[in-house]
Amino acid sequence: MSDRLRGILRVLAPSSALVAFLLLGLFVGQYQRYVLSHAAAAIVIGAALTMLVGYARCISLATGAMMALGAYGSTLLVIKLGFPFLLAVALGGVLGGLGGFILAVPGVRFRSHNLAMVTLVFQSVVIIVIRELKGLTGGAEGLNVPRPTLFGIDFSGDYAILMLTVCVCVCVLVPLTILVTGAYGKNLRALASNEVGARAFGISIEHHLIAAFTISSAAVAIAAAIAAPRFRVIDPDTYGIMASIFTLAYPIVGGMQSIWGGVLGGGVLALLPEVLRPVADFIELFFAVLVIATIMFFRGGLVDLAGAIGRRLKGARPPESIEAASPVDAAVTGGLETSNAAVAAIGNALVIDNVSKVYDALRAVDGVSVEVRAGSLHGLMGPNGAGKTTLFNTISGFVGADGGRIECFGRDITHSPVEGRIALGITRTFQQVAIFPELTCRDNVVIGLGRNGIGSVLSRSFDDIAGRARAAEERGQADWALAAVGLGGLGDAPAGMLSLGNQRRLEIARAIVSRPRLILLDEPVSGVGHQEAEQLKDLLKRINADLGVTMLVVEHNIGFLVSLCDQLTVMGSGRVIAEGKPEEVVTRSEVRRVYFGESEKVALHA
Amino acid sequence: MAEFIMVIIGGVQFGAIYALAAIGVVVIHKATRTVNFAHGGLVMLGAFVTYLVVVELRWPYWTAYVLAPLLIGTLAMALELVILRPIRRADMFTVIMATIFLGIALSETFRLAQNTEMLAVPSAVKGPPMIVPLGEDAFIVTAEQIWVTIGALLTGFAGLALFRYAGIGRSMRAMASNIRGAQLCGFSIDRVYALAWFFGGALAGLAGVFAAPSKGVSPELAVSVISAAFVAAVIGGFDSLIGAIIGGLLLGVVETLSAAYVSSAMKSAVSFLLLFVVLLWRPDGLFPERKGRDV
Repeated sequence: MSDRLRGILRVLAPSSALVAFLLLGLFVGQYQRYVLSHAAAAIVIGAALTMLVGYARCISLATGAMMALGAYGSTLLVIKLGFPFLLAVALGGVLGGLGGFILAVPGVRFRSHNLAMVTLVFQSVVIIVIRELKGLTGGAEGLNVPRPTLFGIDFSGDYAILMLTVCVCVCVLVPLTILVTGAYGKNLRALASNEVGARAFGISIEHHLIAAFTISSAAVAIAAAIAAPRFRVIDPDTYGIMASIFTLAYPIVGGMQSIWGGVLGGGVLALLPEVLRPVADFIELFFAVLVIATIMFFRGGLVDLAGAIGRRLKGARPPESIEAASPVDAAVTGGLETSNAAVAAIGNALVIDNVSKVYDALRAVDGVSVEVRAGSLHGLMGPNGAGKTTLFNTISGFVGADGGRIECFGRDITHSPVEGRIALGITRTFQQVAIFPELTCRDNVVIGLGRNGIGSVLSRSFDDIAGRARAAEERGQADWALAAVGLGGLGDAPAGMLSLGNQRRLEIARAIVSRPRLILLDEPVSGVGHQEAEQLKDLLKRINADLGVTMLVVEHNIGFLVSLCDQLTVMGSGRVIAEGKPEEVVTRSEVRRVYFGESEKVALHA
Repeated sequence: MAEFIMVIIGGVQFGAIYALAAIGVVVIHKATRTVNFAHGGLVMLGAFVTYLVVVELRWPYWTAYVLAPLLIGTLAMALELVILRPIRRADMFTVIMATIFLGIALSETFRLAQNTEMLAVPSAVKGPPMIVPLGEDAFIVTAEQIWVTIGALLTGFAGLALFRYAGIGRSMRAMASNIRGAQLCGFSIDRVYALAWFFGGALAGLAGVFAAPSKGVSPELAVSVISAAFVAAVIGGFDSLIGAIIGGLLLGVVETLSAAYVSSAMKSAVSFLLLFVVLLWRPDGLFPERKGRDV
């Protein structure tokens, strides 16, 4: 089966549940058809919230407001302006999307409870406005929803409504699935698990979250718009805060780690009240208890539960942590084109000229000038508080320099944003590994390729389906980088299961996959054992030689640094105190003094 | 002028209740890093205890002031033990979800148990309204207003003092500033968390007793109190107790002013707009806690 076909089946699978509803509807009565239409809309809402709540980890209490925008918007367009029903539903979706956008632009600078409060503000204000605009919306009394018609044909029969609902819901669910399972969904999970790591590879957190709010709100609004005629009368209470909270239960109960969670959660929780009709009064309490139980006992939700049952039936064991790395494949790295190396032989990769950074009274970096020769392995060491990390962050763009100038391959990058650095050929790794544990190793590395602007990410999500060659190309590049660092066989393993040493390798793979000209390595062996450090040293040397990529390495491990680097800069109290060949630099008295606390006499004696 | 003063007095009365509820939210958040969206439910149950004691059992009113904080504090402690302790290692996101639905569970349980619209509770202090002359005009204050305002504020400041100066407060503050460090110094995380929830729950219970006569007892009380308490807490900077008190008073006054002079619909809108403005303008609240510098 070709990749493309498999991809198409994968995005159609969640929608197949909706089509099943259509078949089921043939055999059941009027009321059950009504319930099925309700569940179809809930599935779309669940999937939309999987994107926003499960993937982007934004707690939204404004889902009810988005539903209201869709339902009221589409109904009013039909009543007041005589729009055809389907167009009105689509425009209701646009209105919901607009609402999501307006909420998100100021909202995404907040996280957790503050974001929840901002969404609650939006929710309350929308409902108050609807209640107060009595002339337009009928206020608290409610608004009569006309029967839906399509090209003059009445669609108000229960099976007709089910058909219409399923068709519209499929049209929303398919693109939603493509986005959630594609590059966009992966980026959302990446930024939700590690914002710093995501930012370093050009993922604009604000843009991604605003898009998540906009897209999910539009989907929710369409689902509510298509459901409105079934209610015959809509009123503000239908879309109150309780609607927001109970829809929030969909992705939680279903499971937040895949689109199936929202689909299952929405479907099951929409059908549940019908199953529990004898105890209908207890349904809200039951919902709340169900959510709390899910959070306490099976946080993966129904999807995980189904997976566990499936595994048990098959008799398979759950996956265990992966420890062993395959040896570095010499053939892969050896066979690289070394165009960079040829270019690199001339001039400086990085010129740091009199850079300063002041925090309050502390001059963290005080007029530092360093030149890093192209193609070299340049080490940067110094005791705690010497300003290494601050200097490093000014180079990688995480901290703005207060003075001085930083040039990379002849271009002034002093003030260019973090997001633009990959395009300039600069990547980095982190002192605290900043991998994305929920993604596979391959997907981690693909993020390192850049192209993470929101527009290109959204379009990249459709690559697989459209059968564009780019997706296969990206996979190929990622597999090359994984093989180059010795993680060749682990492309499909979740990154969070790797050992720390292998996570460091993964970071290196992510840093080299875009074929950068300069890699900034922040304490690449901190926390890993001696043997692993030796292996990483060989790996870095090989990458430096084969790819001709310049490396600037900050490290505390002096032995590692001396044997790795061909040039070494030592910092102390924000200044450069020594520079030169590593073996020679570490014997200098001033270095020994700041680093080892030796007095001058002892140093001379030594 | 007299009308304006009466509006302000009414606002301060509600503000004092909000402040008390907000202090509970802040105490729990400070000590346990848990954002308790179930706090409104606790306040509602505090008001319900008042109803039971005063109306059903016909006990003297002061017993409500003793029983409500004890019962609600114990309930809060039990909820922490049974529901939140097992998920303590989860991230904030998950815990917030849990408390949101915990709040729903509390108010739904109440709704199922008491299938009425709203339970009325008489005032704690009786007596004719006082007429205070003001130039040619005069304004009216009820004993209830004075009692609630002063009582709730005094309780709030007492809570603040307890947290700031007493031994139990010290353990909670230690936990708040550095969990590992506090544990190493011999503070038991379980005990401190239980204590903080008891303390926060007791404040919620008292807020319920003060709120019961003027707001009645209904599931809506939970929703209105939780949003007000959060708005007040956020205005105050979420980690500042004194900020929560001032935020609560400010919110109460702004709400009643807009209800009196704009429209009743504006009342709930304005509190949210206030929150929005504060969040955008000063994300750390009007009274941010001074934090140590990260180097």
